[in-house]
Amino acid sequence: MRIEIRRTGGFTGIERRAEVDTSGRPDAGDWHTLTEQAVATAPGTPPAGVPDGFRYQITVEDQGHSRTVYCADPRLTDEQRALITRVLKEGA
Amino acid sequence: MDVNRTPVQPVTPQIAPVPPFPPPPTSVFCTIVPPHVLDKLAQSEDPAHHGPARLTLEHDALHRARRSDTAVRGITGPAPETASDKPHRTIYDAGHQQVVPGTKVHSESDPPAKDASVNRAQAGLGATFELYLKVYGRHSIDGKGLPLDATVHYGEKYDNAFWDGRRMVFGDGDNTIFLDFTIPVDVIGHELTHGVTQYTANLEYSGQSGALNESVSDVFGSLIKQYALGQSVGQADWLIGEGLLAPQVTGKALRSMKAPGTAYDDKTLGKDPQPATMKGYVETASDNGGVHVNSGIPNHAFYLAATALGGHAWERAGQIWYDVLTGGHLAKNAQFADFAALTVTAARARYGTGEEAEALLKAWSTVGVTAK
Repeated sequence: MRIEIRRTGGFTGIERRAEVDTSGRPDAGDWHTLTEQAVATAPGTPPAGVPDGFRYQITVEDQGHSRTVYCADPRLTDEQRALITRVLKEGA
Repeated sequence: MDVNRTPVQPVTPQIAPVPPFPPPPTSVFCTIVPPHVLDKLAQSEDPAHHGPARLTLEHDALHRARRSDTAVRGITGPAPETASDKPHRTIYDAGHQQVVPGTKVHSESDPPAKDASVNRAQAGLGATFELYLKVYGRHSIDGKGLPLDATVHYGEKYDNAFWDGRRMVFGDGDNTIFLDFTIPVDVIGHELTHGVTQYTANLEYSGQSGALNESVSDVFGSLIKQYALGQSVGQADWLIGEGLLAPQVTGKALRSMKAPGTAYDDKTLGKDPQPATMKGYVETASDNGGVHVNSGIPNHAFYLAATALGGHAWERAGQIWYDVLTGGHLAKNAQFADFAALTVTAARARYGTGEEAEALLKAWSTVGVTAK
C-alpha cells in the first residue's frame, strides 16, 4: 500500500508532500488499519476549510486500485490526524 | 499552472475500476456526475477523458470551497451593550495537542505570564485591537467588543497559524524552517483581520475573492505592525512574517508587499511564488485557487498607493481599504477589478477628487487591474 499526503494552504501557502510505501514494512498491518479508518468517512472532494487552515489530499494506492480523499484543519478525525502526522513525519 | 514549491512527483495515472474502500455514504454537494467518477476520469490516461474531468473537478472543488466553514456558521459573539475601549483577551494553551481552545492560561487582568508565546499573543491581540479602535473607531473584530481569544502551542512542531471562526490558533513551528507563529505581530494581525472580514464583507475564500480576503489580512497585518512601531511608509519593511523563518533559511519573510516574489529563495522552501501584477496571476486548484499566491497583486497595489500618498499608510490608504471592507458594497465574490473600483469610489467619497483617487487608479493600473 502506498499512502501519499499532499498538504496545501496554510498561512505560509507552502505546499508539502510525503508518501509511505508499506510493502515489506514490519508495521504494514498497523498502517493499513489506520489508513482504512482515516479514509473511511472522508469525502472525495475538498471540504470547506477555515482561513489559513491546512488542506489535505490523501491518496491511497493498493493492489492497482487508487482512491483520493480530502480533509481540512481543524476538522480532522483522530485517525486522519494520526495518519497525516505519521506520513509527514516518516514519509519521504 | 501549479504552484508546487517542493518537487512533487505526479501521481501515476491509474484506471481504477473498483475503489478499494466503500465510497462516502452521503455527499452534501450535488453534482450530476458523481465526483468519484470524475476522479476516475481525471486519472484516465486518455486526455480526452482526463482533461475535462480534471477541469470539472477543479471547478467543483472551488465551488464547494467557497462555502467556507466560517462563512456558514454566522457566529455572533457575546456583545456588551456598550462596547469597551479596552480589549478583553483570553489566552489558552493547547499543550501541543491539536485541540481548541485548550487550557485557559491567561486573562486580561493577569500579570505577564512566564510563557513568551502567551505574552506575544496577548500583546499582538492588543496591538490589533488598538489599530482598529484608535484609527478606524472599530470596537474589536465584530465592531461590538467581541472578546478576543487565542490558543497557543497548538499541535507538535505545527507550522501554521489560522483563524478557526472564533479564535486565533498558533503553532510553535518546527524550529528548523519556521519558528513560533506568535513572533511576528503582523501574523497575529493577519489572523484577527480574517475575523474582521468574516464579520463584514465575508469575502469567499476562493479564487480572486479569496486572494482579496488574504490580501486584506496582509494589509491590516502590516498596518498593525507599522502603527505599533510608528513607522512611515518609507520606514516600514512591508514584509509579512518577518522573524518567522529559522536562521538557516535563506529569506527575509514569507511575503513582501513591496516586491512580491522576493521574500525568500531557499533550497528547502523553494522560491516565493507571489506575482506582483496580473501578468503573473497563477491559475491553480491548489490552496483554494492560489489565495496565498495571487494576494501578491492587491498587496502590491496597496503598497504602491500608500507609498505614493506618503506619511503613515494606516491614515489615507488604510482608511480607504477599511471603508471598502466595511462599507457594505463589497460583494462576497468580488474580483480584483470590483475591489479596485470600490477603492476609487471610497477615496472620492472621503477625500474628494484629489490625489488619493489618482494614486489608486495609478496603483491598480500598474499591477494590471482595471478598476471597473
